[in-house]
Amino acid sequence: MATLQSTAPPDTDDAPRPPVVRRKRTVVQRLRHDWPLLLLALPVVAHLMVFHYWPSAWNIIAFMDYSPYRPFWENPFVGFAWFARVFNDPYFAPALLNTLKFSVLNLLFMFPLSIVLALAMNSIISLKVRSTFQSVVYLPHFFSWVLVVTVFVQVLGADGLVSNWIMGSGGERLNFTSNPDTFLLLVWMQWAWKDAGWGMIIFLAALASINPSLYEAAASDGAGRWRRMWHITLPGIRPVIILLLILQIGGILTVGFEQYQLQRQAVGYQATEVLDTYVYYQSIIGNQGESFGTAAGLFKGVIGLILILVSNNIAHRLGEQGIYQKS
Amino acid sequence: MTAIDIKPRRRTKNRPVWDEEPSLAGKAVKTLFMVCYAAAIVLPIWAVVATSFASEEALNRAGGSLLILPTDVSVQAYREIFSGGALTDSLLLTLTLTAVGTAISMALTICGAYALSRTGSLLHRPILWLILLTFLFGPGMYPSFLVVQNLGLFNSYWSLILPGAVGTFNIIILRAFFMNSIPGELIDAAKIDGAGEFRTLFRIVLPMSKAILAVIALFYAVGYWNMYFQAVLYTPGLETQPIQVVLQRMLMSTQGLPEGAQAAAQYQARGEAAPTAALKMAVVVCTIVPIVIMYPFIQKHFTKAVITGAIKG
Repeated sequence: MATLQSTAPPDTDDAPRPPVVRRKRTVVQRLRHDWPLLLLALPVVAHLMVFHYWPSAWNIIAFMDYSPYRPFWENPFVGFAWFARVFNDPYFAPALLNTLKFSVLNLLFMFPLSIVLALAMNSIISLKVRSTFQSVVYLPHFFSWVLVVTVFVQVLGADGLVSNWIMGSGGERLNFTSNPDTFLLLVWMQWAWKDAGWGMIIFLAALASINPSLYEAAASDGAGRWRRMWHITLPGIRPVIILLLILQIGGILTVGFEQYQLQRQAVGYQATEVLDTYVYYQSIIGNQGESFGTAAGLFKGVIGLILILVSNNIAHRLGEQGIYQKS
Repeated sequence: MTAIDIKPRRRTKNRPVWDEEPSLAGKAVKTLFMVCYAAAIVLPIWAVVATSFASEEALNRAGGSLLILPTDVSVQAYREIFSGGALTDSLLLTLTLTAVGTAISMALTICGAYALSRTGSLLHRPILWLILLTFLFGPGMYPSFLVVQNLGLFNSYWSLILPGAVGTFNIIILRAFFMNSIPGELIDAAKIDGAGEFRTLFRIVLPMSKAILAVIALFYAVGYWNMYFQAVLYTPGLETQPIQVVLQRMLMSTQGLPEGAQAAAQYQARGEAAPTAALKMAVVVCTIVPIVIMYPFIQKHFTKAVITGAIKG
């Protein structure tokens, strides 16, 4: 992975600078020396405590029969009763299934698309063409989901551009942006439009870091275009592929919220419900209660944590770096 | 010398000598693929811009959807947006949220990243762990919602800024930059000359990090500008909503759905016409323009920021 940073000088590339060896000092002496740094870190620490760790601690109400109308300590513990209720909820399984469906779609059809795009882009020799193309394909990444959905409805919706063309030439009205049966395809198209270009940025950097003399050597040994791609290019970007794969697997239950919530009205909840929208509609909009929504969210968080740890472990065993080092 | 005279095929300039020239068909397929992909991105954006400048008659002739070419240019839609009504308020609100939010986020991120870049200081490792652990586990939607409620931020604009003000990923990116791209000798020299941590940060470190600071600021600003979910979750009761929420309501109102009918009725009750396609597209253009203006300045630094984060995170 370290070879990726082609811009940094090689000697400062890898590990952080070793700390200056000082003689052992007492905590008071260190405090006197380091207080400005602690002061600088304080706002961030305070923020994380209030908006990350405090809500994390609130997850305890998933194990309580919680009501905001009585003092906290009077809420009785009920064990895993709320989780049982979540799993028995008839709307939960479809939401989980949809989430997995979208994740698998992402892994199978978005991830390779970005790699293919990066390979195609990498083979463009003219720098001018390349940078123009890059500017165009990165841009939609910065658009909001509201905007993306709006544009899709205007172009592919029932009253949209394409539909009007089809009707103009005597065809039938297009029913694409409100059709639950083709919603998977619609989601994929929206992803491809918004993020496929952005997804290739990291592969492009990895490709740029491959030593060109490897290609030269292979070519003079008679390896053709495809052999070079198979034996040099793909092994060269393998660490990045593994790293991103781990991240993807860790986030398998997180497919976003806005894209589905925005199209829920048009497509219907059966096709669009994912875990995040489920929590939102069941316990913030609906009346399943605080403990119910917290239990559903905690389930998602814990599974995500386990998946990250497991996939990272597998990567280490395969001899890859993964997200964090073994320490 | 040998007299074999091979006429070389015309080679692309800058192609390495060992690389064989691809076949014409191969080139054609690749070019077609790339051109189609770029067109699929550019054409809808173009149609949105063209429609926003269309007059009502032109739109009616086209059946109320998008236009590829505006037949007669009209700025009516933009006049309506900036006439001081609800849309103007919403745009101003979103601009304010973006400015204030980005400033707060950048201040927190810079301070945190600098403190963590000084390895070996007191409590350095626990604080780093505190940040890294946020990558592994998120508190969940409902507990975060409860905390916002408990803090009394529900239906307050602060709830759109404060809960998401720190991007821990950005801290890690910036920290990696401080540690790897700013020579340690420079910081040591400043220390020897008697500069404290604050002076080192403001006089030495920050001036050397302008590019990456610009990228991170853009990431934050785009996040605030595109904010939708937080507004739906934390401020559903406020009169003036961020522009993305307003755009979503306009979209719904013309889709003929139950929620859309409701929104259309609201427009009628206020004595306003339901938004035309031109007005909707003009709002879309308004949400794109700030991004497109910032984009060229910062685009060239993207790769570096993304890679630094991916590797050191």
